Amino acid sequence: MADADVLVSDLFRREAGKISAWLARLLGPARLDLIEDAVQDAFGAALARWPLDGVPVKPAAWLAIAARNKALDRLKSEARLGPLDESAAWRLGFSDPEATGRLDDTLALMFVACHPTLEHDEQTMLTLKTVCGFGVKDLARAYLSTPEAVTQRLVRAKRKIRELALAFEIPEGAELAARLPALVQAIYLLFNGGYTSGEGKDLVARELCREALRLATLLTEHAATATGECHALAALICFHHARAEARTGDAGALILLAEQDRGRWDGALIARGFVHLRQAMSASALTALHLEAAIASVHAAAAAFEATDWAMLARYYRMLEELKPTPIVQLNAAIALAQAEGPDAGLARLEVLAGARKLAHYAPYHAARGDLLLKLCRRREAAAALAAALDCPLNDAERAFLAGRLRTCAENGTSDRRH
Amino acid sequence: MPNFILLLHQDLARPRPGSPDEFASMTKDYMAWADKIRAEGRLNGGEKLTDDPGKVIRTRAGRTAVTDGPYAESKELVGGYFIISAKDYAEACRLAEDNPHLKYGGRIEVREIEKM
Repeated sequence: MADADVLVSDLFRREAGKISAWLARLLGPARLDLIEDAVQDAFGAALARWPLDGVPVKPAAWLAIAARNKALDRLKSEARLGPLDESAAWRLGFSDPEATGRLDDTLALMFVACHPTLEHDEQTMLTLKTVCGFGVKDLARAYLSTPEAVTQRLVRAKRKIRELALAFEIPEGAELAARLPALVQAIYLLFNGGYTSGEGKDLVARELCREALRLATLLTEHAATATGECHALAALICFHHARAEARTGDAGALILLAEQDRGRWDGALIARGFVHLRQAMSASALTALHLEAAIASVHAAAAAFEATDWAMLARYYRMLEELKPTPIVQLNAAIALAQAEGPDAGLARLEVLAGARKLAHYAPYHAARGDLLLKLCRRREAAAALAAALDCPLNDAERAFLAGRLRTCAENGTSDRRH
Repeated sequence: MPNFILLLHQDLARPRPGSPDEFASMTKDYMAWADKIRAEGRLNGGEKLTDDPGKVIRTRAGRTAVTDGPYAESKELVGGYFIISAKDYAEACRLAEDNPHLKYGGRIEVREIEKM
């Protein structure tokens, strides 16, 4: 019995998205609700039947058939309010339940879920729910929200999609160019969400990162979507995700780049990242994502923190600043410059950013200042900067780390640890 | 094993299911048949054609003419098809006999596909 349970929950995540995409092709994206319910019903049926009857020979096809049958039942119930959609019923009737998992279907579903008229959170939530088979509870955990609130947002998102009356397809031409950026952005946010919420200790967060990697890879596998920017996205995620194991210590504490055991980096994933990066660079347009991926590649290529090619990094950051002059990018550019040309140069750049409102309560800014001041032996100013960092929103691991730095200041701060 | 195409002909004037329940149960009959043949590993394709009568192209006296279906000579349409593998016509027909299309007043044309 327990075996069947585990099999169902494992299968669910893997198959739910495929079956949803297949049903969306048959029934249209306006029926995402019906599709979700039918898929849910099918997995409920599997949970009830498999422990008694045994696991079917082709579990995935069994689930697809069950979901298709449930979809027909629900189509029939829908007909209480109006005429039966006979054409949809026939499409189910002639469908091939062994033809789930087609790349075209999955991408078409992503284009629906990430329609630009949806808000960012709606796009990522709906993608996780329909394409990745996440449950509402998992979503609530990932978005630090309640299941009720998540459900409400999903309902709104699906209503918007119904009203848009979208075709279920990978868009072409100008339409493709207009809609692809939302997909890239959604996957980027998905990854960022998982990455920053501590993917090392939190299973859901780690799953977010894995899904982001999977979805980005899918984009690069289809001729229509394998653009330079999509390859850059895949490369960026590969490089960052390769460090997942090395980023957290035993107690879940964050380990900074400088102190990570690079032997624990995933070499195969880094190699994959470089393949994507080469593909990205062969495209004509250079985007911010290209530079972010290139920056991540410099770290990935360094055998040790001390061996990092800081000059190259500073150059990439300077180019990124031109394309994406946000305070956070400027902060990182200043840090790279400090490594390449010395703490004075970096500090000068940081002082220019002092007025940026976004950085006033951003701990890494103050921490970086403290760090450079410490290197310049301006200990009192360094202590003030670190105290300012401790006033910013922080998680426990970061707080403990900065408090330690502040103590170093009071003693004799010349250690060389930095972010 | 050779492939056979089952062309599902239907009379345009055939009686149609009256209620959503009847329609859904008819659809289920088709699904059940296809699921069974598929489970035996014999189903190699099947699609429904759209409900419109389609077009007919003819050449008369060197001129090509496109007209709307249904064909003047019949009130029948091909509504869909299945491709199944069977060892001979006898077996193909035996498999086709269970197809619910017959129960719902349709006619099935069974043709062997030339092996290339």
